[in-house]
Amino acid sequence: MAQIITESLVESLARERAFQLLDQGSAYEILGPFDGLESPHLAAQNIVPQFDDGMIIVKGTLNGQQTVVISIEGNFQGGGIGEVSGAKLAGTLEKVLKECEKGNTIYPVIIYDTGGVRLQEANYGLLSIAEISAAIVALREYVPVIGIIPGKVGSFGGMSLTAGLCSALIMTREGRLGMNGPEVVEQEAGIRELDARNKQLIWQMIGGAIRKESGLADVIVEDDIPNYQNAIQSIWSGEVELQHRTKKVDHYLSLYKSLDVEVKVTPEQAKEHFNTKPAVGDAELPAPTEAVSSTGRKWFDLLANGQPSISEVPSVLVADTTINGVNARVIAVVPNPENNFYRARKGEIGLLEGWTIAKYVHQAMEEDRDLAEKRLIVPIVDVPSQAFGYHEELFGIYLACSAAVDAYASARLAGHPIVAALVGNAISGAFLSHGMQANRLIALNDDGVNVHVMSKKSAAIITQRTIEELDEAAKEVPSMAYDIQSFKKLGALYRLLDGVNAKEPNADDQTILVNAISEAYNDIQADSVRDLSSRLKSEIAVSSGRKASIQVREMIAAQWR
Amino acid sequence: MEKLIYSFPASKTIEQRAHVGVVGSGDLEILVEPTDENKTVVEIRTGITGFQDTWKKVIERFVSQNDISALIRINDFGATPGVVSIRLAQAVEVSLHGANHN
Repeated sequence: MAQIITESLVESLARERAFQLLDQGSAYEILGPFDGLESPHLAAQNIVPQFDDGMIIVKGTLNGQQTVVISIEGNFQGGGIGEVSGAKLAGTLEKVLKECEKGNTIYPVIIYDTGGVRLQEANYGLLSIAEISAAIVALREYVPVIGIIPGKVGSFGGMSLTAGLCSALIMTREGRLGMNGPEVVEQEAGIRELDARNKQLIWQMIGGAIRKESGLADVIVEDDIPNYQNAIQSIWSGEVELQHRTKKVDHYLSLYKSLDVEVKVTPEQAKEHFNTKPAVGDAELPAPTEAVSSTGRKWFDLLANGQPSISEVPSVLVADTTINGVNARVIAVVPNPENNFYRARKGEIGLLEGWTIAKYVHQAMEEDRDLAEKRLIVPIVDVPSQAFGYHEELFGIYLACSAAVDAYASARLAGHPIVAALVGNAISGAFLSHGMQANRLIALNDDGVNVHVMSKKSAAIITQRTIEELDEAAKEVPSMAYDIQSFKKLGALYRLLDGVNAKEPNADDQTILVNAISEAYNDIQADSVRDLSSRLKSEIAVSSGRKASIQVREMIAAQWR
Repeated sequence: MEKLIYSFPASKTIEQRAHVGVVGSGDLEILVEPTDENKTVVEIRTGITGFQDTWKKVIERFVSQNDISALIRINDFGATPGVVSIRLAQAVEVSLHGANHN
């Protein structure tokens, strides 16, 4: 019997994976375990850290081309993104971007094996993922950013948003790509929505094979090193055409608008939907007969100055207005109890909402293309979460969120000043999609304004701790806390506004926010920087909030050769 | 998390540093770095508390078989004594004979 010896990527640890992919003898590691840059936040919570924080950066050549592989260790804390690991990934991509801008082409490859944000560091993960996303969007203009999902953990949570932003995705059948992990969907939506133990169904929904067959992944390979290398080469050479999925707004929006999910859609049927050109209908989506009040809607009405929403999707409000004389587009996501997607009726960001945000941000970019002064864009952030549901995962909610991220990031790079106003909840993937790509973040100092990555109940289950233990940990580690004062300690807020009634705003409250937005607008205009680096340069960030994030970036630059 | 430190006299030097393993379920990560202090120092951080006696025995056995001047740092995520011994042997193998990516 012939023996076939394969060199498995799936079965290898993250470091081995990175070295295996690159030309033998060409590669060296940046910020390896001996550099001792581990998470400062895990030990503070009595959790054993790893010397490299589970993120491996290896630079070398592949087929002679300068390549850097960033490989996530799925065995350590589920591949979760914390401050150090997140900064290692973001910082590497930012460094590659700088090199590419200088004309020195380096090809980035990300090996995904991650559950998303590391819940023990929570908001650091959120900030990092926003920075990773921003770097991918900028870098894609120079060089294909390739993502590989070999499998074991797969790619989930906020990191799936970054996977959706990659120029091309390579998967195995064993790989999985989704936003909310099956256990979290079951916890949030109930076992009748999704039974997380039904492994066969899960792979039929979000496994590599169906993602490829549905056009969401580019290459599917058998797990053997040369296959991955060939796949990468075929993407570099142009043999595999880049899909730019996050730009296909009309296609995906028509698909989700025409979808009926009253009866459960099977994975087979979903595949058919993906592969059929959706009818370009002007079908009216069901809207509530009476607008449901929400903090987001109240602030939208105030900032829009009575302008009606031009959005075709009732759960996303869009209006053009002026803010202290500056042309602005205001965008809010609001509850719609009539939403066809029953898991997105309370103001969550679901399939429709992500793509609708993308549509109206791209529209503003298109309309202002020839203008020197690009329109100010103001996402009003009052979003309880992304939508947790079976259909959401089946139909790729991660990509809807990627599309929104892409739109905001692209608008920012094109010169649109973006100022996000946090007036209510700013949670997890919803905040990443709607607000986190802004040049400046402004928040109201109110107990109704919260920033976090997961409900306490789910976070407790996933990290196998009690809610009391989580609250205790949050006292030591501000990134774990939910309140806006703790978030401020990370240094990413431009302004935290006192004395504003967030839930029942009046004209005075409006004036305070409008003036702060103007101030942020002027600050952006006075600055030629279009990336998110201001969050690392604030006084709080430098002195305490982002010390490790800054140190990681400095050390990457020092070890780069 | 528990921190344990052991120190033993040693006489032989090793060629190079080594890194093996991962802080994953039932596994551990070991860093070995050469020193010229004629000591084997073992620093352990473990998520499983209350097993000092077992650790002591495992490390004593390792040191009795390996005379190396080194700082050995361990991050443990619930490895059994057998796994600990195998990983230690693997780390020494690398620091004596190479074959490490670092």
